[in-house]
Amino acid sequence: MSINRLAYNAMKAVVGDRYISEDPAICQGYRSGPGGFEGGTGYERVMTTLPHAVVLPKNTEEVQKIVKICNRYDVPYVPYSTGFYGPRTHCHVENEIIIDLKRCNEYEMDAKHFYFNVGSGVTLGALQQEAMDNGAYTVIGGGGAQCSAICNLIGDGWSPLSHRVGIPHRRILGTELVLPDGELVKMGSLATSDDPFWGEGPGPDLRGLLRGFTGLRGCLGVVTKMAIKTLPFQPEPLVPTGVSPNTQLELPLNRVKWINYIVPTKEAQVESMFEIGHAEIAAAVTKVPKFWRAIAKAEDKEEFWKLWLVEDEESIKDFFIVRVLLVGFTSEEDMQYQERVLNDIMTEQGGVARRTKPSDESWIKNADSAGMWLMCGSYVSVDYVIESLSQAVDHGESYAELKWKYTPPLMPDFGDPGWFQNFEMGHQGYSEFLIYWDQREDVEGVDKFYVDTSKMNIKHRYYTSLLGPHQPMYLTGPAYGPNYHTWMLKIKEELDPKWVSHPPVPFAHDEFVRKAPWMKDMIDWESPAELPGRKW
Amino acid sequence: MSVLDQKFGDRYDTPKTPVAFDITNLDNFVYDMQHCCKCKGCYWVEHTYNPGMNFPVRCASNLWNDFDAYGAMGKTRIGLAIHEGKLEWTDKLLEIIYACTLCGACDVGCKRNLDLEIELTLEALRVKAVKDGAAPLPAHKKIVDNIATNNNYFGATESRTKWITDDIKVADKADILYFVGCSTSYANHGIAQAAAKIFNATDTPFMLLKDEKCCGNTVFSIGMFDEAKKIAEANIADIKATGAKTVVTSCAECYRMLKVDYPKLLDIATGDLGFEVLHLIEFADKALVEGKLKLTKPVDVRFTYHDACSVSRLCDAWIPYKGERGWMGMIYPGMRRRRGRQGLYEQSRNLLNAIPGADFVEMVRLRENAFCCGGGRGTKEAFPEFSQFAANHRMEEIQYVGAEAVVSACPWCNSNFSEAIQENGANVKVMDIAEIIASAVEI
Repeated sequence: MSINRLAYNAMKAVVGDRYISEDPAICQGYRSGPGGFEGGTGYERVMTTLPHAVVLPKNTEEVQKIVKICNRYDVPYVPYSTGFYGPRTHCHVENEIIIDLKRCNEYEMDAKHFYFNVGSGVTLGALQQEAMDNGAYTVIGGGGAQCSAICNLIGDGWSPLSHRVGIPHRRILGTELVLPDGELVKMGSLATSDDPFWGEGPGPDLRGLLRGFTGLRGCLGVVTKMAIKTLPFQPEPLVPTGVSPNTQLELPLNRVKWINYIVPTKEAQVESMFEIGHAEIAAAVTKVPKFWRAIAKAEDKEEFWKLWLVEDEESIKDFFIVRVLLVGFTSEEDMQYQERVLNDIMTEQGGVARRTKPSDESWIKNADSAGMWLMCGSYVSVDYVIESLSQAVDHGESYAELKWKYTPPLMPDFGDPGWFQNFEMGHQGYSEFLIYWDQREDVEGVDKFYVDTSKMNIKHRYYTSLLGPHQPMYLTGPAYGPNYHTWMLKIKEELDPKWVSHPPVPFAHDEFVRKAPWMKDMIDWESPAELPGRKW
Repeated sequence: MSVLDQKFGDRYDTPKTPVAFDITNLDNFVYDMQHCCKCKGCYWVEHTYNPGMNFPVRCASNLWNDFDAYGAMGKTRIGLAIHEGKLEWTDKLLEIIYACTLCGACDVGCKRNLDLEIELTLEALRVKAVKDGAAPLPAHKKIVDNIATNNNYFGATESRTKWITDDIKVADKADILYFVGCSTSYANHGIAQAAAKIFNATDTPFMLLKDEKCCGNTVFSIGMFDEAKKIAEANIADIKATGAKTVVTSCAECYRMLKVDYPKLLDIATGDLGFEVLHLIEFADKALVEGKLKLTKPVDVRFTYHDACSVSRLCDAWIPYKGERGWMGMIYPGMRRRRGRQGLYEQSRNLLNAIPGADFVEMVRLRENAFCCGGGRGTKEAFPEFSQFAANHRMEEIQYVGAEAVVSACPWCNSNFSEAIQENGANVKVMDIAEIIASAVEI
């Protein structure tokens, strides 16, 4: 089987010979897995396939033309930027093509008005440096500095810096979206002029449709351009030092510093985070899993395990840390003020400041998510919850309990409740749960853990952000909607009536649990005999 | 079995697999190929050093051709498919594997986080290509024939020592042997003359091999393991026969071959070679620190330094390894990974900062993040378009930082930059580090 030759030739006419290929070796380079995000999981093995061809457009116009050709000749496609997001951003059906957007790297910065206007191939790491060179900053999302800024903003887009900067929705300004049929939608102020400065535009705010809470992984077309808001930073340079792997940004401590506090109880941890937000100080406030500290200290995975396995359930249970990043945004006096307020809060909560490196290894310029592979070889962020700080704690405990059930194949983490932090000055509590395993193990438990996580969230009525693309829609939709799944289906069929944009998303996980024999006994929810969507 | 395996091994089903760094067997790198997470640390400059929108890429191959296949993240997936018999050797596949200088940028990038052996994997893929009869490529075959026939890369028939002028003193017997290399002997005489001037200026007697032969860099780099091993054995025997305690090279590629790849070919440690291997940078830096080398003559130039791959991220001493991989991918016994940290980053800068009158400006991408010139390891002969692209791209960066001259420590970089300048007309002077040091020495 092959895609229609007329379609292939038409795409070649758009991008030129050099930027399209169906060579088997070229396509093999776009294989999903076997390593990477969700590496070795059933979803990766059951749901992904090699692309038939790969095409690299240079700009919005070329993307539009390619998508229209795909519609005309019934060629399914998936947009792809850095490819880091594992199987969900790789081909799912035979004779699908990848639209690799790395050449769409248009970039401009409006330093006066604090925003970038970028194409899909521009990464967060590059933007952060450009921002800092111009007295501003942005967020390196958890996916990492190497991620496409647009992709990260429509998918995730947060980090501990979201304490002050806020959730990603607020940083998306004027945006261009090539709809699944190739028509161009301009959002925000781009809808009425060439000025992308505003996120809000006439009519309904389509940014919500674009990303929901965590995006729809390419099933509603291709975002080709976005204006991204930046915020003012302090003026002192942050100097990179060290030789890989021990690299860090040396901080100007009069203006930027991390402080780690150990607090006596979980209640004190939450209360101090709340109070810091209430006082409207700090640039980041977070609690990280203890084993992340071992990752940061370890030279290699063997050293990580030596460091980590001295811990046990007791030592984890009684470990409460609050990491605070202070930035004197306006002056040294601002910094001193914040530090005094912080010390007052932490003293009240019984917090003790521990020696903290005068440098930043992660979050200002590098999310370091690739380091998460160090200890086991495979990992995935299985759940994000944005609710309240107190809820984050409850969620963490439920989650830790569930995780034990699946350990092994998950790594022994001694019940660490995960990562949580302030968003938007403590108005929201963010919790994220990451799991780690060795993909050479029998990993059916990982697949089951996914679905069990949804069931746990439904049971306890936790609001999870990974409702849409990562879970069976017919499990989560009725529980959260009650018509969330049918709403999604209507949107999909309205905008992509031919189902050419990354099928079978958003019903891919539903299909996976049906296809994987080991998932059969997990299915205790109702769904139609035949899943919606076109069969390729 | 490690202590950790004993504690948790019975709870998991992790298979135990042998681990060896023998590049003649692609099996040894299946784990590495299976565990690439596409973070593209192999492609981008390390995040902390990310310079922004100008010059953020470290992989010359993948910048030349944008498909993921040309980056290490693609090559590892392709390597797995080759290993599993799912891909046939084709011209396109050979281009993907060989339009790459094995510069090591991907390897140190990966070892920022993942500890995967990318450089060795790429070498093993080339050995496999040769074993399968798909390589050497015609352009490489010509170099191999030149070396077999005339003991040098170029197939030259004239003397290797034409660079020696009357004022250069070469000893019949000395502790130091200067291994000149093909490029310097035939195409870059000025480098050899400058190196000799530095030896003479520090009152350091040096000798030459009576009949120096090619180090075998290209033969090794294209995957002809057995042939390269024979060259290594012959050269080591010749060096040992001189009684030299130290071999000094002015060529980065010869340096890496002698220090890293000869031991790799022979399955011994660098320390077991029987002699010390130094690049001229190390020799001169030590002489400078000890006061033997005096740099007093002003050199009026604003220059930048190009970290040649083989004196930077590729030159960590070789240590053979055999062990077992178990639970969570840990290896036993443990080992210290080669991460490019033994690169001559500081020594070269100590020297360059000591040049009086000169204005030394750093490039955007430097040390282990430097962008390869694209000229080495046989790549230029097989894929001249790629080599020219890489050199031109680096030349843009050289001009971006406002340098009048670029200094390198490798004659292959020197030649590739010089040819790029001839093509693109850039107003930049190309110098070797030996030459700029020598020009600061009063005679």
